[in-house]
Amino acid sequence: MNPETLIAVNVGLPAVVALASLVLNDKRMRTGIVSLTSLVLIVSSILLYLGGGVEFSPAPVIGTVVLALDFALLGYFLYVGYRSRSPLVLGLALLQLVPVAYFEFVLKGAHVENVIAVDGLSTLLTLIINIVGSVVCIYALSYMEEHEHHLHLERSRQGRFFFYLVLLLGAMNGLVYSNSLYWLYFFWEVTTLCCFELIRHDGTEEAEANAVTALWMGLVGGVGFVAAMFAGYGAVHSIALTDLMAAQGSQLLLAGFALMALAAFTKSAQFPFHSWLLGAMVAPTPVSALLHSSTMVNAGVYMLLRIAPAIKGTPLSYVIALGGAVTFVVTSFLAIRQSVSKRVLAYSTIGNLGLIILCIGLNTGLSYTAALTLLFFHSVAKGLLFMGAGVVENKVGSRNIEDWEGLLGRMPLTGMVMIIGMVSMFLPPFGMLIGKWVAVDAVASTPLIIGLPLVVMVVLGSAATTFYYAKWLGFLTILPNSLEKRKDENLETPYRVSLYGLLGLNILVSVGAALVVDDVVNPILAAAYQQAVTTPGYSIDLGFTAFPVWPLWAALLAVILIGSTVARSKGGALSPPYLGGENVAGKPVTFMTTADSEVAVEVSGVYLAPQIDEASIDRLAVGAGILIMALMFLVVIT
Amino acid sequence: MDAASTLISLGLALATPLMGGVLAGFDRKLTARMQERVGPPLLQPFYDVIKLWAKKPMIASSLQPVLAFGYLGFALVAAGMVTFRQDLLLVLFVTALADVCLTVAALNAKSPYSYLGARREFLSMLSYEPVMLLAYVSVFLVTGSFTVQGVLDYGKPLLLVIPAALVALQLVLVVEMKKSPFDVSGSGHAHQELVRGVYTELSGYTMALVEVGHWAKVATTLMILSLFWAPNPLIGAAVALAMFFVSLVVDNSYPRLTWQRMLRTTWAFGFALILLNLAALALGGVI
Amino acid sequence: MSIVQKSQLKSLWVLHFDCGSCNGCDIEVLAALTPKFDVERFGIVNIGDPKQADVLVVTGPANRRNQRVLRNLYEQMPEPKLVIAVGTCASTGGVFYNCPNVLGGVDKVIPVDVYIPGCAVRPEQIIDAVVLALDKLAGKAPKEEE
Repeated sequence: MNPETLIAVNVGLPAVVALASLVLNDKRMRTGIVSLTSLVLIVSSILLYLGGGVEFSPAPVIGTVVLALDFALLGYFLYVGYRSRSPLVLGLALLQLVPVAYFEFVLKGAHVENVIAVDGLSTLLTLIINIVGSVVCIYALSYMEEHEHHLHLERSRQGRFFFYLVLLLGAMNGLVYSNSLYWLYFFWEVTTLCCFELIRHDGTEEAEANAVTALWMGLVGGVGFVAAMFAGYGAVHSIALTDLMAAQGSQLLLAGFALMALAAFTKSAQFPFHSWLLGAMVAPTPVSALLHSSTMVNAGVYMLLRIAPAIKGTPLSYVIALGGAVTFVVTSFLAIRQSVSKRVLAYSTIGNLGLIILCIGLNTGLSYTAALTLLFFHSVAKGLLFMGAGVVENKVGSRNIEDWEGLLGRMPLTGMVMIIGMVSMFLPPFGMLIGKWVAVDAVASTPLIIGLPLVVMVVLGSAATTFYYAKWLGFLTILPNSLEKRKDENLETPYRVSLYGLLGLNILVSVGAALVVDDVVNPILAAAYQQAVTTPGYSIDLGFTAFPVWPLWAALLAVILIGSTVARSKGGALSPPYLGGENVAGKPVTFMTTADSEVAVEVSGVYLAPQIDEASIDRLAVGAGILIMALMFLVVIT
Repeated sequence: MDAASTLISLGLALATPLMGGVLAGFDRKLTARMQERVGPPLLQPFYDVIKLWAKKPMIASSLQPVLAFGYLGFALVAAGMVTFRQDLLLVLFVTALADVCLTVAALNAKSPYSYLGARREFLSMLSYEPVMLLAYVSVFLVTGSFTVQGVLDYGKPLLLVIPAALVALQLVLVVEMKKSPFDVSGSGHAHQELVRGVYTELSGYTMALVEVGHWAKVATTLMILSLFWAPNPLIGAAVALAMFFVSLVVDNSYPRLTWQRMLRTTWAFGFALILLNLAALALGGVI
Repeated sequence: MSIVQKSQLKSLWVLHFDCGSCNGCDIEVLAALTPKFDVERFGIVNIGDPKQADVLVVTGPANRRNQRVLRNLYEQMPEPKLVIAVGTCASTGGVFYNCPNVLGGVDKVIPVDVYIPGCAVRPEQIIDAVVLALDKLAGKAPKEEE
């Protein structure tokens, strides 16, 4: 299978299938084509990864189609701006439409030799997009059934849902294959469209409002891209990424990169553009799992990974790092404050993306390694967590962590999925911890004047991450209060396939972390920084330190096995908790108080509400973000 | 690594509980003497643990014993990582794994005191983890490596170069050993507001496992502290034991304070001291 | 004597419970823990958690209200365990014997191993009682006199 065909499949098939699911009303047919497409995409992405890189241009008619679709899209955004009475959307859409028309028809600058360019970075993103994305699509098949059942919908709107969901996969694929800045911008805006339409899917007032917020912030990124096209064209007379990357850094070119970074910050929800991702949590959970954790937000990170080698050593690069670091540390603490499960995961996503962007901004071989490792493992783990959270939400009927107390007892399998997912986000020997470890190494290796403040932010953010995941995970293991029967954990097949599949993948890639580094990270690292990480004896060796992967896994297994053996051999009678002797017989975890009243013990989560004032911190965050964005352009023009 | 040094490293790692137990014995004896008492015999902690192991098993849930063993198990893995001269950051993260086992075991039993202890234990972890990470970063900046091997190869005593890290780690040691003023999550004896805090629902063999795990943790931390005078292991051990003794003195001089005070103190002093030290080193051209 | 038995004798963790005494005996129990009498040298620690305690030291008479608590605490202690009734009130009810709400000594609710009569009991007597309890644990206690 040659790469050209695979690329066509990865971009074209989702578009076709999306249209099909919009038109077809039969649930079984939709399940069939979505599942089949998922399989095809997974296979094709692996084949593409195994094949070599390629650069080419498809038939010119495709270019015309892209142009037409782009104008249609912008026109639609104008319409949305008008319909939702949003001057921001209207203005931003116009700010794109007019310049693009000028660029295309007057300047005629959109011609690029090789519109498509695929290398190691593209195939890494393709793997993430298609494997995690396909699993989420399968998951969505069950989720949307239950979701619409809960909402008592008469007429199913799943056709519309799957249209945008699957279309997003195609758009993301197109995004990472584009060498032409214009094509990249086009696919970028398609993802903005899908994001907007999916957030407002349920049609509530809140959903519509949050969707508009996501839309205008996304459009800011779009404007950034359009301006970058002008800057790039002005600097090197080309909008091919390969040309922009290879050119000598002039001020105009750097300004172009800064504009692309701005777009990246909007897409990856970094300060000051973080509020849209939090607002996006009103959408059905597959949207959160796909767009807002493991796939679409990676587009911003991809953009930065792509341009990083070209801005190496510039103040711009360090300001980007600062933006990521500040976002990481502040959102990590804000996550402590959240009691709504999806908001915790949302803040966690923003924070981890911030950490990745910090690493990209530091722009050394070591930090690039950290960024790639974190990106890879984060996408898998976060997708898993969001999907698990969605299942729990549907079965328990609540998104609030308070209602998830003792989940492990009530829904053992799903509870286990959530717990392993959380453990894999911050504890050894899992991949995310490896990434964080490399990140600390990378930040500590940076020149002190920049490195020290960033190190302080990273260590504080890391400690906060441990705090909010450990407390949540512990809360899930609390024994149930009543002798309530365990909920019948009859998970539907799509749930089972997607949850256990991704769980298995999560564990597999963490166990095979050295392989991931060797086969996935190293090629990209070599191309960008002419370096490589060695993996002797199945450990990850950075030269001045090493991560013993398999010994730690062996240790983990040994501890679990020996612990279980000791527990089984010693056994023990179950005893009620210590309540000062006031236990009420027969009623678990209930105590007798004054006037002989019986009170059940209630425990709540830890949110540090008096210490963390979310509203004021959020205001500061927006302010800090704006300052950093301003600084980003300041260092370019001075 | 040849077979002999591998065996020594392994033996040393497995001996950390014993070392910790002996230290615990000295802890109680010295504390007693500071209070003008006679105090228990030096082997008392071992009698305690053996007695606990022999008690009739009583558990809060089926998950609890596995987690209690996990605490000991991962503490031993962390000890092993030190004795096999691995990365200090990883030692910290593996120790975090042990701590999560303990706190989840405490949360697992729906008990108010245990829950309160777990909550405070999370806050303790929040207070010392960033300071320890920064201390290890300062070790890296001076020696060029995060590993124990790197510190041993450095040649010069770290105490003379980054003394601030040691002071910061003294604060961390007080929190880790659960000594006043920062014994907010649990302690060697009962607290009025907490009862046994994070240890409340442990009993018999699970309590024994956690106690032995705690010994291993303390011994491992002291081994790391002794690295601050790596050229001469005896002086290094003396440094570590001196810090141990300081923890005891502090324990007997201060009442228990709030967790807010604990966070403020460890972060403010920890960060300020280490950053000032690093700034001085940078200005002096050392790093 | 095996190492286990030796350890059990050398490490005795106490749970102290006041059933409703005047606190006189409680003060004396506390005094036993102070540096002057220092029972910690025998490995005795006031652990406060029944799940980790070996000895339940009770003061005050058992009454209708606290019998439930007393029994709960006793049952939450794992074997091997001992009960020491400190003071006349805990042994027999003392001055409160036959009061409307009082059941009598603590042994009306839980089995008692050692009684210490006295009002209030002296720390030296408490230490003696602990030694007697240890003998009982080791199986060497003299038979109770009829």
